[in-house]
Amino acid sequence: MHIPDGYLGPATCGVFYAVMLPIWTAASKIVKKTLKARQVPMLAIGAAFSFVIMMFNVPIPGGSTGHAVGGVLVAILLGPWAACISITVALVVQALLFGDGGITAIGANCFNMAFVLPFVGYYVYRAVSCKASEDSGRKIFAAGVAGYIGINVAAFLAGFEFGLQPLLHHTASGQALYCPYGLNAAVPAMVGEHILIFGWVEAIVTALVVKYLQKHSPDLLLMRQINQDDLSH
Amino acid sequence: MFKKSNFIERSLTGALSFIKGSIFAEGYASRIGFLQSLDPRIKAATFLLFLLQILFTKNILVLLYLYALCLMLAQVSRIDLLFFLKRTWVFIPLFSLFIAIPALFSIFTPGDPLVSFSLIGHKLTITHQGLSGAELFVTRVITSVSFVVLLSITTKHFELLKVLRIFKIPQVFVMTLGMCYRYIYLFAEIIEDTYLAIKSRVGTLVHYKRGQHLVAWNIAYLWHRSYQLNEEVYKAMLSRGYAGEPAVLTDFRFKPKDLVWFIFAAIMFTAMRKYG
Repeated sequence: MHIPDGYLGPATCGVFYAVMLPIWTAASKIVKKTLKARQVPMLAIGAAFSFVIMMFNVPIPGGSTGHAVGGVLVAILLGPWAACISITVALVVQALLFGDGGITAIGANCFNMAFVLPFVGYYVYRAVSCKASEDSGRKIFAAGVAGYIGINVAAFLAGFEFGLQPLLHHTASGQALYCPYGLNAAVPAMVGEHILIFGWVEAIVTALVVKYLQKHSPDLLLMRQINQDDLSH
Repeated sequence: MFKKSNFIERSLTGALSFIKGSIFAEGYASRIGFLQSLDPRIKAATFLLFLLQILFTKNILVLLYLYALCLMLAQVSRIDLLFFLKRTWVFIPLFSLFIAIPALFSIFTPGDPLVSFSLIGHKLTITHQGLSGAELFVTRVITSVSFVVLLSITTKHFELLKVLRIFKIPQVFVMTLGMCYRYIYLFAEIIEDTYLAIKSRVGTLVHYKRGQHLVAWNIAYLWHRSYQLNEEVYKAMLSRGYAGEPAVLTDFRFKPKDLVWFIFAAIMFTAMRKYG
């Protein structure tokens, strides 16, 4: 899901930086309003949490392992705007300090994983869980569905961004200058593996974590709700 | 994204190698070498120029020249070349090389035929456009990754995070980045300890369904610990004088050497933009 440097052309990189700029500004303003002073370190802790979720290898049938991205889970726990900041910070640390994911592609990566993934997932979670109580099985189901849909929408967008490159950047003779695959190859490749494998990993992890938190720390699931209520008053 | 191996072993190895790798990288940042001696602000700004040049150029010779420059900079900064090549080629460029192979063929990149051959009764044609595109793509990726890795291993990480302020990134982001960076190590250690405990108690043979529950429980528990940590950290911040706005100390020093390097990088950037 992380787009490295060299895959996207300058126009795409520039557009996504421009798109993310107002989103980051709005996120920091909204989070400043909703997070209480004592919850300020929560952003950093949430970012570190987003970073290390990928270190958990999840077993899948056949003896293989995969890993979850955790964007929807962070949105359920912190709310979508705080998740946007936390995941952005995690992506910047990954790109800048560990060379994972590109610096020029940070705008695109943040759009897919720090904006689309948590927002789509969070609103699917809210729509499916409707007004169910915090300890209901419906919330667990909603978390799974949200994880699955969120990651697939983000994967589709990443595939779409890859697939646009040969159309946007090529020489007169038709030679691709960046990612060499068009929409007909890039989108099915990205979406296919997420629909079949990684979407399920994301769904299982998101649903099970919500289940365990319901059972052992229900107050942590309510924290986001309290902050949302504060914003609406 | 997925690998055939036991998930307990893989998580344990992953957390351990992350911590070890980072300690190694910090070791390189503390050495006495050319890039280590530069002001981190100038170094970051000039590396950004190189990255932009790599992004914009359509000429493979410019990319090869920049890659050679990157290896030379690694050498004069006393970075072990074998370590650097291993660190930069695994995983992204090798993966890019692998996915660039189908793009050589006319199925994905139609164009002027270069070589044709038969494989299991199917005629395959490598095109000029396919080969040139794949070469350019892989060279661009490896050159970009090499510059980013070189920047990160020759600069102390906390300095690199402070440098972000020159790009006018709001203080709250810089503070969050700095704090996040420290927690990552703490969390990686927690993951390592947890999986070591699991391994010592239940071994590594766990059914995948049970394994999924185990992973989810560990993620939930990590979140629980994170939340508890939040309270402690906030109290520690208050005790150190935090009053709602973060303050960061600046101790960078601009030297004549930095100016010479900046002029060199700017001239190169301008020349390559003009002729490349």
